[in-house]
Amino acid sequence: MVIDLDRCTGCEACVVACHSENNIGMSTPEEAARGRVNHWIRIDRYYEGQFPDIKVKYRPVLCQHCDEAPCEPVCPVNATYHNPEGLNVQVYNRCVGTFYCANNCPYTVRSFNWFDPKWPEPMQLQHNPDVSIRPGGVMEKCTFCIQRIKRVEDQADAAGRPVADGEVQPACVQSCPAEAMIFGDLNDPDSKVSRLAGDGRATKLMEELGTKPKVVYLEKAR
Amino acid sequence: MSMERRNFFKILSTASAGVVATGCGTDSDKLIPLLVPEQDLIPGVEYWHPSVCTSCPSGCGVVARVMDGERIIERTTAGKTEKLRQRLAAIKKLEGNPLDHVSGGRLCARGQAGVQSLYNPDRIRGPLKRSGVRGEATFQPISWKDAISEASDQLLKVKNEAADRIAIVTGPVASSRSNALRGFAKAIGAPEPLVCSVASHAAERKAAEIALNWQGIPFYDIANARHILSVGADFLGGWVSPVNYARQFGAFRQARMEVRGYLAHAESRLSITASAADQWLPLKPGSEAQFLGAVGRILLDLNLAPKAASLPPNVLAAFKALDLAAFIAATGIEERKLRLAVEQLGKSEGPLVLAGASTVHTNSVDAIVASHYVNMMLGNVGNPGGIQAPAKSPIEPLTNTKFAAALSQARAIVLDEANPLYTAPKAAHVREALTKAGFVLSFATTLDDSAAWADIILPAHHALEGEIAVAPAAAARVSLAIGGTFVQPLYETQPISNTLAELAGGMNVTFQPATVKEIAEPLLPKDLTWETVVREGGFHTDATPAAAPLTKSKPAPKAAAPTNAFALNAAKFEGDGPFLLQPYLSPQLHEGASSNLPWLQECPDPASSAVWSLPVEIDPVTAQKLGIATGDNVKLESASGSITAPAYIHPGAVPGVLSMAIGGGHTHFGRFASGRGANPLEILALATEPATGDLATGATRVRLTRVGPGKDLIQYSSEDKEERPHAHR
Amino acid sequence: MAEHPELLPYGIIREDLFRPLSRAGSKWWFTVVACFLLVVAGLAAWGVQLRDGLGVTGLNRPVFWGLYIVDFVFWIGISHAGTLISAILRLTDAAWRKPVTRAAEAITLFALMIGGLFPIIHLGRAWFFYWLIPYPNARLMWPNFRSPLVWDLTAIVTYVTGSAIYLYLPLIPDMAQLGAHNKPWRRKLYKALSLGWTGSDREWHALEMAMKLNAVIILAVAISVHTVVAWDFSMSIAPTWHSTIFGPYFVVGAIFSGIGALIIVMATLRRTLHLENYLIKRHFDNMSKLLLTMSLLWFYFTMSEHITIWYGNEPKEMGVFGQRTRGDYAFWFWLMVFVNFVVPVTLLGIKKLRSVKTAVIASFGVLIGMWLERYLIVIPTLVTPRLASATSVYTPSWVELMITVATFAAMIMLYLLFARLFPIIAVWEYKPHSPEEED
Ligand SMILES: Nc1nc2c(c(=O)[nH]1)N[C@H]1C(S)=C(S)[C@@H](COP(=O)(O)OP(=O)(O)OC[C@H]3O[C@@H](n4cnc5c(=O)[nH]c(N)nc54)[C@H](O)[C@@H]3O)O[C@H]1N2
Ligand code: SF4
Ligand code: SF4
Ligand code: SF4
Ligand code: SF4
Ligand code: SF4
Repeated sequence: MVIDLDRCTGCEACVVACHSENNIGMSTPEEAARGRVNHWIRIDRYYEGQFPDIKVKYRPVLCQHCDEAPCEPVCPVNATYHNPEGLNVQVYNRCVGTFYCANNCPYTVRSFNWFDPKWPEPMQLQHNPDVSIRPGGVMEKCTFCIQRIKRVEDQADAAGRPVADGEVQPACVQSCPAEAMIFGDLNDPDSKVSRLAGDGRATKLMEELGTKPKVVYLEKAR
Repeated sequence: MSMERRNFFKILSTASAGVVATGCGTDSDKLIPLLVPEQDLIPGVEYWHPSVCTSCPSGCGVVARVMDGERIIERTTAGKTEKLRQRLAAIKKLEGNPLDHVSGGRLCARGQAGVQSLYNPDRIRGPLKRSGVRGEATFQPISWKDAISEASDQLLKVKNEAADRIAIVTGPVASSRSNALRGFAKAIGAPEPLVCSVASHAAERKAAEIALNWQGIPFYDIANARHILSVGADFLGGWVSPVNYARQFGAFRQARMEVRGYLAHAESRLSITASAADQWLPLKPGSEAQFLGAVGRILLDLNLAPKAASLPPNVLAAFKALDLAAFIAATGIEERKLRLAVEQLGKSEGPLVLAGASTVHTNSVDAIVASHYVNMMLGNVGNPGGIQAPAKSPIEPLTNTKFAAALSQARAIVLDEANPLYTAPKAAHVREALTKAGFVLSFATTLDDSAAWADIILPAHHALEGEIAVAPAAAARVSLAIGGTFVQPLYETQPISNTLAELAGGMNVTFQPATVKEIAEPLLPKDLTWETVVREGGFHTDATPAAAPLTKSKPAPKAAAPTNAFALNAAKFEGDGPFLLQPYLSPQLHEGASSNLPWLQECPDPASSAVWSLPVEIDPVTAQKLGIATGDNVKLESASGSITAPAYIHPGAVPGVLSMAIGGGHTHFGRFASGRGANPLEILALATEPATGDLATGATRVRLTRVGPGKDLIQYSSEDKEERPHAHR
Repeated sequence: MAEHPELLPYGIIREDLFRPLSRAGSKWWFTVVACFLLVVAGLAAWGVQLRDGLGVTGLNRPVFWGLYIVDFVFWIGISHAGTLISAILRLTDAAWRKPVTRAAEAITLFALMIGGLFPIIHLGRAWFFYWLIPYPNARLMWPNFRSPLVWDLTAIVTYVTGSAIYLYLPLIPDMAQLGAHNKPWRRKLYKALSLGWTGSDREWHALEMAMKLNAVIILAVAISVHTVVAWDFSMSIAPTWHSTIFGPYFVVGAIFSGIGALIIVMATLRRTLHLENYLIKRHFDNMSKLLLTMSLLWFYFTMSEHITIWYGNEPKEMGVFGQRTRGDYAFWFWLMVFVNFVVPVTLLGIKKLRSVKTAVIASFGVLIGMWLERYLIVIPTLVTPRLASATSVYTPSWVELMITVATFAAMIMLYLLFARLFPIIAVWEYKPHSPEEED
């Protein structure tokens, strides 16, 4: 995934899109006050400088799907691991809730179900049947909308054609009004993401930790 | 884009075009058959149906992902209540309609959350009749038949006595619904429905009419501009068409080879537009007119106004005569900076000035008019990368915003998609009007602040449950986004058109609102069939439609200019506090009609990162002087009252200006919004923009005092500096 | 106070040491019942947590580890009192160790039982704790051996087993002696536990061998356990956790707190069970010296850890360093340094001040200090994550506090019960080697 910070406006549409797609539990004000709002993608906002010469930095942060994911080796039950496509996946059924992965994620993108999530009737009608509902006690995080990837792959398979570049759109990417996020196959040198990842503005978040993140940020042009 | 288009057609072609819903009678037993699978609904198969977002006037076309779902309903038969599982078509997700020119397949946070208002647990489940004292919000269920007959009797009584005393109040969205209301008003002899909203964009409309003789809100071709100076319009946040402008902004920045658009933004708040800008010019509130006057003048002085000759002579003279030093001083911007910004604009190959009134001041129309003249002198009116004429709207928008006067006279008040008790200040005396009126009728889907005062509530279908057409607020092409019926209504609600027709019938008036098809058909371009329009969710025609010429080509009558004299008045402020209160439309809660959606409540505020609460933004210097820390409760006091809210010390707040997002402080709005936070609109003075009569939201002076430590500010991220200080000692 | 308990007649020794088994005062009962009630309250709190979810704790994002992990490390640390100390003393054949070892070994076992519960209490889905046990499940899936938590579980289970055996082996001869107890249920219990011990030379020989071997093994296991606990932290890349020093640092801290716990227990036993003739000043003197040594070692490690962070000046680590030394946690940090270093060094380093009383005071300080140390390792790092936007605060909830209190109560309760059921000093060790000397 490539995120162009020169386009991103910090509008948070992606945050809501992710909730809408992934059946993420809702917080309450009381729980929010305890630091328990679950967002799989968040917009970090930082202020630099002082009025009137102040700059605002918005940076969408989601699971970076690190190739060398620090969250993976520490999980005692293999609930989080690398799938053959290179995604960092989370197997909810196996997770016993040790929190170790979350502590070891330098990006702090993992969220925990502190309680069984609740949706007052009839809010459950909105639930995406392609995404499981996670019970309390289980860790979760951005999946790169794996259900969308699978759907597109299945459609392509059925039609006997390869998946086209840009055909898979995770919910956040799909929603982003500024089109700041682009999803594609970094292994394919001709894909749009590969092309953009070679841009002079491309950086990765905390690359120095050796996590080999798969999210590429295009820094704001100045 | 091409990919999305292909996908979209494929999806639609697998979907059944037919309507899944079986409709809804007044008898609960006739609800959808229980546990009998709908023939058209295969479990696990998704269907995409087009519709339209009505959460703000921009009218984004959406597509809804529909699959089977299950809910628990209670049914009482022979005195025994049993719980039953009901299978029905459910909307799983809303996405932008890729064929729609406004949304282009994207949606803002509110648009995404629309489905949560459909499935909100606090929706009104059937007609209600007040059972206690008005305003106490105690209701009892009543049958549709009785409700309609009672409501029409009441309306008929007022109509017979004084039909002009029926006030129909609605919101700013130009839709088949507002159209129906207008028709209803006309049919029963009531005055045209009033718009009560802080997002009516009346100043933008008026200014376009004055300067360019355009009807509607101009459209800015941001994507093709190279250098934008935007003034007073948070066009990426809560302004006219955030999704469209954000899309264009992305392209403006990074879609062109070798060209990266440069944005300078002048506003009295560090909005998300100001944050995204390359340069922010923090204006003194209300000085937009002076700023734009100075811009025009400097351009002229620097000979950077190639089309200065096209300006009306009085305007040119006014620019040349203005006291530049005083104007610059009024803006609060350093002269060197301002001049540099203007020079950069003038020297650009594709300059564009975009002005609006995210915060309305008493001179907002002056400011926007000035911006049009600056664009005129830059030569970009009607050109690519410039300001473009609004397309003729297929639905005439309602524009009368003088609701306060009408309400105070009203004997009967009809509320639809408007919440005047919330969006109007206390000083507008809406509460008194609602108390005094002989009859209050509401079509609310959820019990909000104003619906709580109704005598009868005739709940309408949710916008996603019925047929709807919306004309976008800003579009350069004739467009209409439409939605059909594709999910069963959840409750005993009715399409508003049925309700209005039945009410009219009860008043012995024959009235049948125009259907979506009837509205759209006259405007259909020749090559477009109705079936295509239904399947694609509307039309956004590139070609000039057969029946609807763009108004742009109509030149302003030369004589009109002098009568609409060009003035750059100073903004007026009411009250005597040392601070200016600046309520604003945030990207997540806008004017508060989305506050009952948990997704938006827990969506961090882009400025303060607040969730489930909205703070007052205070600049660090003021905060220090008054001993206020982030999270403290503070009291804002104006001549018409006070509110208490948590403080957020905003490093980018303009000193002396207290900004606060609208959205909190609902007295009634379901479990997720009732009693949460404070409403900054409440304490506004009743100042108006003289040219429009619209409420000037930024014209109130307030006092600020610290109340004490509080617990109301909940921040998702309290840290707002990227690097923690780590002195090496 | 006798200088050499060994010189007392064996009959008197037996009398003195077996006496506590048959007499329970009202104070004993009161304490046991009070502790029991606290334990029940703790279990109830855990019940609430199991029913409602981990949300009842004060944990949040990103403070995913809190009091439970602090308690876990603390109790595992306390467990080093026994086995490690007694094994070292046993292997080095320190003559004065006799009255100390069993008291110490009992601490180990109970502290481990308590400490070992915390990783389970702390799980989001505690009922699936067995998924961490290294055996293949129905789908032939093993746990992830790369995870320090699996090593942790393995090490702790090994340690508990080893410690239980280690406590039990030297108990066998005493059980045989008690086989003639006058209470029938006790008679049955002791008989069963004596495993038919007859006291033959072969048995003695085997026991000696087993104890020696066990001591060697348990020493290795003990060191490895706390090293592995330390690795839970240092194998991660969280700022200041990712440190090579943590293994030995944790072991030293563990022994340090273990000795503190042991001194308190010894002083309590001496007072309540009237063991003044057995737990003599020399024991306290020696233990004080050990505590003093560990205090100096602890200081050395703490300084090494912090001075390298400070000198390195890596921003993320300095963020945590700042939190600890002059931020929100500064008071607790400096209190920790005071009670872990200043107090022991003053009270025990100055010979004139060294006494049973000061040893106990210092030990209490050390227990508090070491608990704080664990807290200061776990929490400040988590509240200052690498990306500043995720910064948070942590306040433990009543559930966490209740469970923490309950574990202290559990320790006291178990110990009191143990001291009533079994001779807290190995009686047979005082047995003269020639039968003539016996009476
Ligand atoms: N391990 C194992 N695997 C097996 C078998 C086995 O014995 N052991 N048996 C095999 C056999 S013979 C079979 S038939 C398959 C069965 O496998 P599945 O077809 O997966 O059957 P169920 O597990 O019963 O799940 C059906 C789902 O449909 C939902 N459901 C129930 N009623 C309705 C309804 O009216 N509408 C909709 N949309 N959903 C509904 C249920 O909640 C449930 O989630 O499994 C096969 N796989
Ligand atoms: S939706 Fe796009 S523009 Fe908005 S915050 Fe997310 S990434 Fe940024
Ligand atoms: S970002 Fe965090 S959760 Fe995602 S793969 Fe990397 S370490 Fe794991
Ligand atoms: S919380 Fe779940 S996924 Fe994370 S390490 Fe523990 S068991 Fe594995
Ligand atoms: S990729 Fe999917 S799961 Fe990940 S943040 Fe985006 S929407 Fe959420
Ligand atoms: S901009 Fe307005 S119409 Fe468009 S999605 Fe957002 S709320 Fe809906």
